[in-house]
Amino acid sequence: MMRNKSILAEEMKAFFVCTTCITILEGILGMLFFPQMKLGYDAFFSPPIFGLLSVLFGFVNYSKKELSVRQVLFRRFIHLLMIEGLVFGLNYASGMIFSPFAAGILAISIGVVFIAVYAALWFMDRRSAMLFNEQLKRYQSRES
Amino acid sequence: MKVHIRKIPDKAKEQVIIECVEVTPEITDIKAYVTRKGEELSGVTDGQRMMRFRLEDVYYFEALDEKVFAYTREQVCEVKMRLYEVEKRYENHHFVRCSKSVVMNLMLLEGISPALNGRFFAYMKNGEKLMISRQYAPKLKRIVMGGVDDEE
Repeated sequence: MMRNKSILAEEMKAFFVCTTCITILEGILGMLFFPQMKLGYDAFFSPPIFGLLSVLFGFVNYSKKELSVRQVLFRRFIHLLMIEGLVFGLNYASGMIFSPFAAGILAISIGVVFIAVYAALWFMDRRSAMLFNEQLKRYQSRES
Repeated sequence: MKVHIRKIPDKAKEQVIIECVEVTPEITDIKAYVTRKGEELSGVTDGQRMMRFRLEDVYYFEALDEKVFAYTREQVCEVKMRLYEVEKRYENHHFVRCSKSVVMNLMLLEGISPALNGRFFAYMKNGEKLMISRQYAPKLKRIVMGGVDDEE
């Protein structure tokens, strides 16, 4: 139960970080490639939907076994490919056609967002580790 | 509280007797402290030598090929216990599970740092590095941090 709660909390954290990064990315790419385009309110749902699907695709990172660093990196790469496929697939399905240049920029941007999300999560873990280390010293002096 | 120390010749007969009007939390703490300090283990070294060592000197227990080993600063001894027994028996002695195969001593933990996939590295005071899996990290944080807010 506690484990499920903790995994859910981590996924929520990933979702919010991911949605924020996608919103920024969509804003920048939109201004660069489609400055004339006007969007309706439904556009606001695009970042959370992409964020949610990206987090759900994160199931490829899970394993009951302890994964090695190489295995983790490989699964992360598969995760990235799935997100790239998702973004291009949904855009294609909605009739959006990109020039090769714009498609290349989009693909790279998705990679940058992907790395930024994991970097943000890593920094949160680092902060959590620093807090833990402070409390550990207190715990050890209290209990010794 | 008065404290008397009486020297005796036989180590096996060493004991601490607490005389009190009521068992208060302080008395319970003293009892827990004495119990922890006194705990000794026996194990078999690589050279098939039987060794006795103090529990508080064990950095961690590791399960390898159906055997459980205790790691102290100088030696590695096989102990005749299953890892889940170690975890349960010594949880009040600051031992906590940090991965499927390791139970570590929080009192000999130097610190942690983030690894990949929500896992953490644990740096022990003897310089060894262990892995804390994401499954066990929340429990570890709860024990050490208690009510201190983390982002989780």
